[in-house]
Amino acid sequence: MMTLVINGKTHEVDVEDSMPLLWVIRDVVGHTGTKFGCGMGLCGACSVHMDGKIVRSCITPISAAMGKAITTIEGLSTDGSHPVQKAWIEGDVPQCGYCQPGQIMAAAALLNENPTPTEAEIREKMINLCRCGSYLRIFAAVKRAAEIQGESS
Amino acid sequence: MNKILNVSMSRREFLGVTAAGASVFVLGVTLPFGRFARADTGNGVMNAFIGISEDGTVTFQNPFVEMGQGTYTSIPAIVAEELDIEMSALHIVQAPHGDDYKIMFGNTRRFTGGSLSVRSSYDSMRKIGATARAMLISAAADDWGVPAGECSTEPGFVIHKTSGRRRSYGELAARAAKRLPPAEVPLKDASAFRLIGKSIKRTDSFAKATGRAGFGIDTRVEGMVHAAVKQSPVFGGSVLAFDKAAIMQEPGVIAVEEIPGGIAVIADLFWHARSALDKLPVTFDDGENRHFSDKQYLQKIQSRLDDAGFTAEQEGDVVTALQGAAKTIQADYDAPFLAHATMEPMNCTAQVVDGRCIVWAPNQAADSVAATAASITGLPLASIEVRTPFLGGGFGRRFITDYVAQAVTLANKLGGKPVKVLWTREEDTQHDFYRPLTAARYRAGFDGQGNPVALHITIVGDGPFRRHLPGSMTNPDLDDSVIDGAIHQPYEIPNRRLDYVYAPVAAPIGFWRSVGNSHNAFFKECFMDEMAHAAGMDPLAFRRKLLADHPRYQKVLDAVSTMSAWKGKPWTAHDGKSHAMGVALHESFNTLVGEVAEISLEAGQVRVHRVYCVVDCGFAVNPAIVTMQMESGITYGLSAALGEEITIEKGRVVQANFNTYPILTPQQMPAVQVEIINSNEALGGIGEPATPPIAPAVCNALFTLTGQRIRTLPLSRSALPGA
Ligand code: FES
Ligand code: FES
Repeated sequence: MMTLVINGKTHEVDVEDSMPLLWVIRDVVGHTGTKFGCGMGLCGACSVHMDGKIVRSCITPISAAMGKAITTIEGLSTDGSHPVQKAWIEGDVPQCGYCQPGQIMAAAALLNENPTPTEAEIREKMINLCRCGSYLRIFAAVKRAAEIQGESS
Repeated sequence: MNKILNVSMSRREFLGVTAAGASVFVLGVTLPFGRFARADTGNGVMNAFIGISEDGTVTFQNPFVEMGQGTYTSIPAIVAEELDIEMSALHIVQAPHGDDYKIMFGNTRRFTGGSLSVRSSYDSMRKIGATARAMLISAAADDWGVPAGECSTEPGFVIHKTSGRRRSYGELAARAAKRLPPAEVPLKDASAFRLIGKSIKRTDSFAKATGRAGFGIDTRVEGMVHAAVKQSPVFGGSVLAFDKAAIMQEPGVIAVEEIPGGIAVIADLFWHARSALDKLPVTFDDGENRHFSDKQYLQKIQSRLDDAGFTAEQEGDVVTALQGAAKTIQADYDAPFLAHATMEPMNCTAQVVDGRCIVWAPNQAADSVAATAASITGLPLASIEVRTPFLGGGFGRRFITDYVAQAVTLANKLGGKPVKVLWTREEDTQHDFYRPLTAARYRAGFDGQGNPVALHITIVGDGPFRRHLPGSMTNPDLDDSVIDGAIHQPYEIPNRRLDYVYAPVAAPIGFWRSVGNSHNAFFKECFMDEMAHAAGMDPLAFRRKLLADHPRYQKVLDAVSTMSAWKGKPWTAHDGKSHAMGVALHESFNTLVGEVAEISLEAGQVRVHRVYCVVDCGFAVNPAIVTMQMESGITYGLSAALGEEITIEKGRVVQANFNTYPILTPQQMPAVQVEIINSNEALGGIGEPATPPIAPAVCNALFTLTGQRIRTLPLSRSALPGA
């Protein structure tokens, strides 16, 4: 038995400690918002927060997640009210949408670290892949999210 | 705001949801299109497109899937426009499979692709909305004892202006359902459009920004088990032997089963299935493709570039004109195999229980999914239920139902247990149906004044039509999917000929975003640049001159010239580097797209700074979505042009994951500026036409910058200055 704290809730999971966090989140705990894209840490579709920092859950064994606060897209807000989600909806960022939970988690982590990133910083830090080509909208939405966050703080 | 969370619904559920209680209105369309039928739970009408419930919610069964291209916004908006409801009143679900939803090609087919969704259903969707509206008006008019002609609507309400009465669609639904659908309905005048032609918001953004949008991979069914698969690394090979006993003790393993061309490990969790599969001793019979190599195939097709082939287009006398020309040029091109690399890997969930088969499959053709399931289970089509969630990308990959066959094969053996098959990225990359490797030879002749007098094209390769849809080929020698984008081009050259040489390829090939246009635009538009250079003209002016009788094309060219402040020569930009522009103009799927790319070189790599894009799709039903699809199509084409290629050695695909099959990164993304021209010509497609012109635009810019011609892709293969 291992204890994981996901979105503020404690889960007892009975799996090997080498199992990647991604598969525990998706198939054991049942939160399917976090996606599988490559399984090698190359795309970022599986991005979640661990103690507020971005990690790629497909290459994070759950042993490394024990005792950490894990946040998935479902835990960012329950109603799409996180500034990043607001900006994403306002800008109609998603196309197929598959990479977007990972993109949003990456953007939220970026804004945690740097609430007012410059355009160059956004372009440098947002590194998750999107096959649909929503990149330009992602850059614009991160900027907008920073504004929304600034207005409400 | 629309909160579409689960878009997959069975026919039974659709009727159930909308038929709850007495007050329900379900409008079906009898096909061939034109006659409408009322539907209720009793009479078994199965082709309902819209249902209205007491609370005014309008359920719309979309025959087209949402894979990013906006069909869950643009299609329902057309219905909502004529029905006169707010978009927020819509509940959008995916229509089941079956003849009742075949609203394309004279009611013979239904699929999502070919950039066809909006243009193939625009008229039908308007009529569906308008007919329902007329029935609601008629019910209200009867109630009030006034002529229907005195009634009008506001979103969600029928109103009678003179008496000030109004009634909601929800209140009227039950009575409206009893009216006979009128044979003819007036359609709105375009000047009154609230939704069509407007940049209305996408309906799926909320679901997709909250992680609630349901994709195939997210399917969870009570009692479900998970399967990981390994297919023969050599395409066409089969399993020779495997040692099941070696892994049965691994955590969670339930079974090891053969699937067509491969092996599956079934476990309680995907991770268990996959880990055990990695340890499974398995040998394959490589079969007859074990020597296939893309290099050899390329050499073979290159050796046939002067073959006569089948003449697909002939105008004047190319041979004589070339012989008599004052100057001739010739160039050979080729473009590689490409993978689709949808971000969501192939997956499918299936259950065979109680004489029924339920398939949860991200797909572009529900009828193909149903046919695959029927043929494996032996069940009639009516006993197959196809549930289509959101697709994490399609790009033509999900027409082919190989992954469906795997899930149904396993479900058939599992005695009622649902099973989800999920491919790893490696399986997905190595078992795709690739954009075919194709080669072409272009030859042109000029008169003494530099005017082009002849153009002779030979294309050698194989195509997905012949492979997957042989029935759709009107001429057995001619595969449109190979020559689309090369045949019947607008450039006015008096002597023209296009020869197609069929060279069968053993590798699996399929439909890749924009199909034949993807390679032909690269060949053709690069060669137009070579011709301009030979004629001593600016490439943009040269094209313009050859389009004197084609004002629609000229307009696109002029617009992109203005937008980009076109420069035919390199210049020193703000970053101190030499920049250059390249142009390409291409029509595909009835849509004209002109693109100008601005590039520079950074350490021997092409850096694309900006792409200027002008599109004429006749009329933009949703300009915002048109713009998104231009950005998307450019990204996809640029990604391929810069670094994508599938190579095959000894029958095996070499590339496996995003480190060996690199797709465009955010850091490589250029700025994109889009302008839409509403020419009011026939509606064109939008999902694909931005892809073809970007590769030639970039390569042409590179020539202007360096004097180096690129005649093979991807660019990462060519040694560029500074490398
Ligand atoms: S799935 Fe984890 S980085 Fe791609
Ligand atoms: S929106 Fe489709 S992969 Fe990013």
